[in-house]
Amino acid sequence: MRASTVRIAEISIRSDMAELAKLRDSLDRLGTELGVPGKPLMQLQVALDEIASNVIKYGWPDGGNHKLCVRITGQPGRIEVEVIDDGPEFDPRLAPLPEAAPAGKRRPGGLGIHMVKQLVDRLEYERAGGRNRTIIIKRYTRRRVSDRRVSA
Amino acid sequence: MRSSALSIEQSHSGAVCIVALRGRIDSTSAGDVMTRLSNLITSGERAILVDLGAVLYLTSAAFRVLLVATDEAERGSARLALCNVMGHVRELFEMGGLLDAFTIHGSREEALARLS
Repeated sequence: MRASTVRIAEISIRSDMAELAKLRDSLDRLGTELGVPGKPLMQLQVALDEIASNVIKYGWPDGGNHKLCVRITGQPGRIEVEVIDDGPEFDPRLAPLPEAAPAGKRRPGGLGIHMVKQLVDRLEYERAGGRNRTIIIKRYTRRRVSDRRVSA
Repeated sequence: MRSSALSIEQSHSGAVCIVALRGRIDSTSAGDVMTRLSNLITSGERAILVDLGAVLYLTSAAFRVLLVATDEAERGSARLALCNVMGHVRELFEMGGLLDAFTIHGSREEALARLS
């Protein structure tokens, strides 16, 4: 019998958009292992892309080699994704709403975070030790497929 | 390797250029869509239909690309429309408050009838 149903994936990526594929693949893998249905997994993928791409885009205006550390903790009914970076302080909870403007005239800087707030159950943030720690939590109801547990 | 990231399929129906997207349009792949749409607009296509029927999800990076491409098309006197915006994908448009920002048709057939 499995000792624990908690799955943890820790991924460290360079501050480069192409690296986000690694996060996406890890989250996919963990979601599949846990039997997370398509919709909540998709919603979490979008939210993670928004949070991590925001850090890459705005985190280090002077460039340089930086890393993002991402820890995905999955357990039955709940996935938590923690993104840690050493960029300037940025609390996504305080990001302004995208202003209403005609198509093409929008500056949808806040659009991603606005979507994150609707896609996940919780968005948490803290600044500690010169680092941003952003956490998103998504709850889900497990897919009812061939349950691996065997009753005694 | 990019697993099930994004594929872009291009075809023509009469005067309409159809760009069918499949997979995920996120921060890593949105640039590919922008390049394709920009090239089509620059090359003089007058009517571009982006079919989102096989898209798994899109992020704000994708919305940004579609907004910019719509604007570019308008400036070039071309039309850019979307079709098959359904299910999860439609919900994402709703969350972004973006359903009104684009010309959206139902099915591909319906869109072609309007654009032709």
